[in-house]
Amino acid sequence: MPGASVKSSEPALTIEGEGDRRSLDGVLDLRTLNQARPALQSWRKQRKSHVLDISKLRGLDTPGALFLCELRDRHVELAGVQPEHKALLELIGGLQRNVPARPPVVPRWRELVIRIGKGADDFWRDSVDIITFVGRIVSALGHALAHPSSLRVASISRQISEAGISALPIVGLMAVMISIVIGYQSAAQLRRLGGEEFTINLVAVSVIREMGVLITAIMLAGRSGSAFTAEIGVMKAREEIDALHSMGLQPIDLLVLPRVIGLVIALPLLTFFADMMGLLGGAMISHSLLHVSLPQYLERVRSSVEIKDLFVGLVKAPVFAFFIATVGCMHGLRVRGSAESVGRETTRAVVKAIFLVIVFDALFSVWFETLGL
Amino acid sequence: MNATATQQAEPILSARGIVNRFGKQRVHDKIDLDVRAGEILGIAGGSGSGKSVLLKTLIGLHRPDSGKVLIAGNPVESIDAREKAALIGVLFQQGALFSSLSVAQNVMLPMREYTDLPLAEQEKIAAVKIELAGFPADSAAKFPAQLSGGMVKRAALARALALDPKILFLDEPTSDLDPLTASGIDELIVQLNRGLGITVLIVTHDLTTLLTVCDRVALLVDGKITVGAVDKLARSHDPWIHDFLHGPRAQAAMNARKSSHGTR
Repeated sequence: MPGASVKSSEPALTIEGEGDRRSLDGVLDLRTLNQARPALQSWRKQRKSHVLDISKLRGLDTPGALFLCELRDRHVELAGVQPEHKALLELIGGLQRNVPARPPVVPRWRELVIRIGKGADDFWRDSVDIITFVGRIVSALGHALAHPSSLRVASISRQISEAGISALPIVGLMAVMISIVIGYQSAAQLRRLGGEEFTINLVAVSVIREMGVLITAIMLAGRSGSAFTAEIGVMKAREEIDALHSMGLQPIDLLVLPRVIGLVIALPLLTFFADMMGLLGGAMISHSLLHVSLPQYLERVRSSVEIKDLFVGLVKAPVFAFFIATVGCMHGLRVRGSAESVGRETTRAVVKAIFLVIVFDALFSVWFETLGL
Repeated sequence: MNATATQQAEPILSARGIVNRFGKQRVHDKIDLDVRAGEILGIAGGSGSGKSVLLKTLIGLHRPDSGKVLIAGNPVESIDAREKAALIGVLFQQGALFSSLSVAQNVMLPMREYTDLPLAEQEKIAAVKIELAGFPADSAAKFPAQLSGGMVKRAALARALALDPKILFLDEPTSDLDPLTASGIDELIVQLNRGLGITVLIVTHDLTTLLTVCDRVALLVDGKITVGAVDKLARSHDPWIHDFLHGPRAQAAMNARKSSHGTR
């Protein structure tokens, strides 16, 4: 290859000769290999003795040399080898050329069984992990509450600002939108029963009891839960967590607690904000769809919503916040080595957090029903 | 490739008047550099002297503020992707192996994209590249996350060789490696250069690599570049170059150079 110049045009290769003898003229490389291979292999199979003249070969690369070596191994004599090609052929010929075995193919039914088994095992491990982690956080929290001076106020307030204050616009917008959606749907249905004015009751109660807190929690699971996993995960991948341990500092105290406490404070406040914005959305829809004035609307809301409804909505918020933050931090600490695993753990954290939020919401519904709230 | 042939060969890569600025700081101040076909050129310089930026400029990943780079006579930005892939191979500092692919799949990726060879044939060619890079064939099914530092470099080298490039760019090929593994990589570079006739451009801090492997060395000092054989550079009056090539570490490397050049 020494002295080879770079050509912009496609290289050409012609195969000439007849009988036992063939000669190659042109360039034998990655691009011409596909054209040369079938012709030469069928020639090799037809004849008993073969001579391949490569004296007119102008270019040869490693795939080309590999092909020539394979022909030589199958008793094709190479004639007229130029010195610069000889070195390459010797180099490639001297290699072991073991193609690594492909991984064995697992039959589909076995793959399915394996996947189910792995899934069950993962689920079991995940459950144990969450319970253990919740226990560790509660113990750290207990210790922190017993010694309030050990709480990292600056860190907590930064988390409240990041998870709470900067989420205000999006949470407010979502709450308005959701109450508009509920308003339109229920107005259309209730009109048929002649109870169009009950739309206001429906919007107010569903936003304050359920939708406000649920939308906010799902928003924060996507926004802050994923951020917790990614932040802690990158620290883990860069050995920053190990550095903390080596200084005798606990990542639970330094990284996890401020996030958990921050979110537990921020989510109820955000939920209250979402409730108010939801009522604003309700007012907008009452005005445009039902032609109800603002004082009438407020009167209607006051008669339909009791203080316990607000309580039912808000009391769920800290619980959701606790699980969103816990799952986010836990998956962050589970990151191993590569950057790829940060992405995987983040996905898992968000899916699991939203799943837990909805499961707990269902449990709360059942519980409040039995309490008669 | 012998020394006289190296002298006569015309540059396969040439850079003219390269200027790179970051803010007010001029990292490269009208740099000219010729890389001759078939040689091993080392680029060195202190930390922050812009070695990696220069490498990125040469392969067209970074557009210089002024100046031009010609590879095989064509401006680097006008070479089409297919041709560029066959022309240059790059070993990135951290390997930059695709983490979702096994080592063998990493090496096969450029072939899969640019040729229509059957899979079995691609696997054979990949096995040759993997063996040429000194990577154990039985580990080729492993994923990058399962490899040690030295293995990552070898796997990345195998991928850089995938399309038989004319020029191989190596960014810190021996950094983060133990001395034995590092000298293994050094030997490998020389073997590939002699055996396949590949032009090699190494950006490195490693004095041993610079002094034992490279035919010529380019030193980046204060935005300017000084190119020459090591023996000539060692007599330079520039204080930084003098200290660089006469420090305690350089002395040990010089001794290694004497012994390796004696046996070559």
